[in-house]
Amino acid sequence: MIDARTHAWLRPLVAIFVGAAFFLPLYLMLVNVFKPGEEILPSPASLPLPPTLENISGVFAREDNLFTFGLVNSIAVTALSITILTVLSAMLGHYLARSTRLFAKVLLVTLLCGLMIPIPVILSPVTSVLKAFDLMATLQGLVLVNVGYYVPFGVLLFMGFVKGVPRELEEAAELDGASRFRVFWQVVFPLLRPASASVLIFLGVWIWNDFLTPLIVLGPDSGTTVTVGVYRAIGQYESDFGDLFAFMFLATLPILIFYLALQKNFVKGLTGGAVKG
Amino acid sequence: MADTKHAVRGEPALATPPRTSRARRSARARLTPKLGRFALFALPGLLAYGLFVLLPILMTGYYSFTNRNPFNPPTEFVGFRNYVTLASDPEFLQALANTVIITLIVTVLANVGGLLIAMLLDRPSKLYLALRGVFFTPVVLSSVVISVIWRSVLTDDGLLNSALRGLGVANPPGWLSDPELALYSIAWIITWQMLGFCVVVYLAGLQGVPRELQEAAAIDGAGGLARFRNVTWPMLAPALTINTVMLLITGFKAYDQIQVITNGGPGTGATATMAFQVVKEAFVGNRIGYSSALAAVMLALVAGVSVVVLRVLQRREVTR
Repeated sequence: MIDARTHAWLRPLVAIFVGAAFFLPLYLMLVNVFKPGEEILPSPASLPLPPTLENISGVFAREDNLFTFGLVNSIAVTALSITILTVLSAMLGHYLARSTRLFAKVLLVTLLCGLMIPIPVILSPVTSVLKAFDLMATLQGLVLVNVGYYVPFGVLLFMGFVKGVPRELEEAAELDGASRFRVFWQVVFPLLRPASASVLIFLGVWIWNDFLTPLIVLGPDSGTTVTVGVYRAIGQYESDFGDLFAFMFLATLPILIFYLALQKNFVKGLTGGAVKG
Repeated sequence: MADTKHAVRGEPALATPPRTSRARRSARARLTPKLGRFALFALPGLLAYGLFVLLPILMTGYYSFTNRNPFNPPTEFVGFRNYVTLASDPEFLQALANTVIITLIVTVLANVGGLLIAMLLDRPSKLYLALRGVFFTPVVLSSVVISVIWRSVLTDDGLLNSALRGLGVANPPGWLSDPELALYSIAWIITWQMLGFCVVVYLAGLQGVPRELQEAAAIDGAGGLARFRNVTWPMLAPALTINTVMLLITGFKAYDQIQVITNGGPGTGATATMAFQVVKEAFVGNRIGYSSALAAVMLALVAGVSVVVLRVLQRREVTR
């Protein structure tokens, strides 16, 4: 243990050193995105002076449109999946948190088991099911698989928050003549905003970054997501780190922005709830 | 949090008794059937879960007793033959060993490193907040992206070896090409990605340790190490549980890094994990039956180990 008083200068120094060492691989990617290809191998760690945008524009100018098509697919799949997941797991989580029936308890345990299942274990039968519904190699199919696979996590998160919403609030609205549906959407759901933000953040990041599921479900022929696009681009860019790093940088940027934007909202949601409560 | 627990304990009492004279209870009892109808709106979620998780699990279990291969029909029931084959299949045994090694390294290293870094950053200032963001960044990135970055660092003529040669090392190690080393490089990469997760969870735990407790222990003459062992560490029990279970599951299902960086190599399966084998058998070899048996063993191991570890660690939380 470091004694805080006698070595007050040591802690920030050590912290900065460890942080810098940890960040080094990310730094190498970042600087080389803006460096001309031929400068990368001779001087990988140097700053990109002057910075060039040719790697970035090269990614957009690809003839196979691997990035642009992948981006559209990723946005569509992620946005659809997390919207559906938030709505469904909020309703399901609310029901499971409030219901006292045996059926609900059995259902909950069944759902929680799903949290432990690694995707490779079920992937082959998942493709059989998708084929049976003619959904193999479609974005809809991928969205449905995402919804099924991640709904346990959403339910678990929402349940925790529903238990913090006073039952009396719902009963009061009910006595005033509101339907169950309306009570949920106008009274409960707004109070669950922090949970919704968490579900959107976690699942948005996970689904965007998913590799194996889109790789198999979308298959080799049709378009794919940006994350799988990075994998496909590796072989082609074997010698050109600049283009590959630019591809990865662009594939990461949207989800990083999404994460940072929602994270703020997440904190706001927490404090907003605290004041009202 | 206290409210939540109270609500949970309160529920069964509301449910079990038949309609009694108490007005409050019957008001709540009336709500339940309406909740039931309301649950219909959640059916699509359950349907997706049933179709894409539950049904596939059952199918995996069933296929594991067959010789199913879509390019080699007909499918026949073969009993436990796949499992018997597994027990003496060197590829499977190596994948099992590799998976255990990766899981152990990741679980220990990320826990220890995460705790040390969390203790380092447990101060209220902008600097430490920014550094927390630095450590957390890889958690938000795709493991494909992280794999490619680390591959460019660790490959034979990569950035690390160029730097080592610059420092005068004549024959720097083949971090990814040496079959003895590659597995540890993969474990390191996964550790690096998960470290920030552990840091954030441990920081949350550390911030829950009351200052008064630390001060009281200091007044009683406890040194830094004794204070950590007797005050801080027991209070971090829930954080340890979350991190350990998360790391175990992450290690057990390691796939992306292997697919992207080594494709199971170098040599024969030096870095192949169980998840990698399952996918390879199913989608490259088309041996669905055999792959399903492998998947069933993998699932049993993940579930078994997670449940046991969870039990042990949670008991520790209670007794302290």
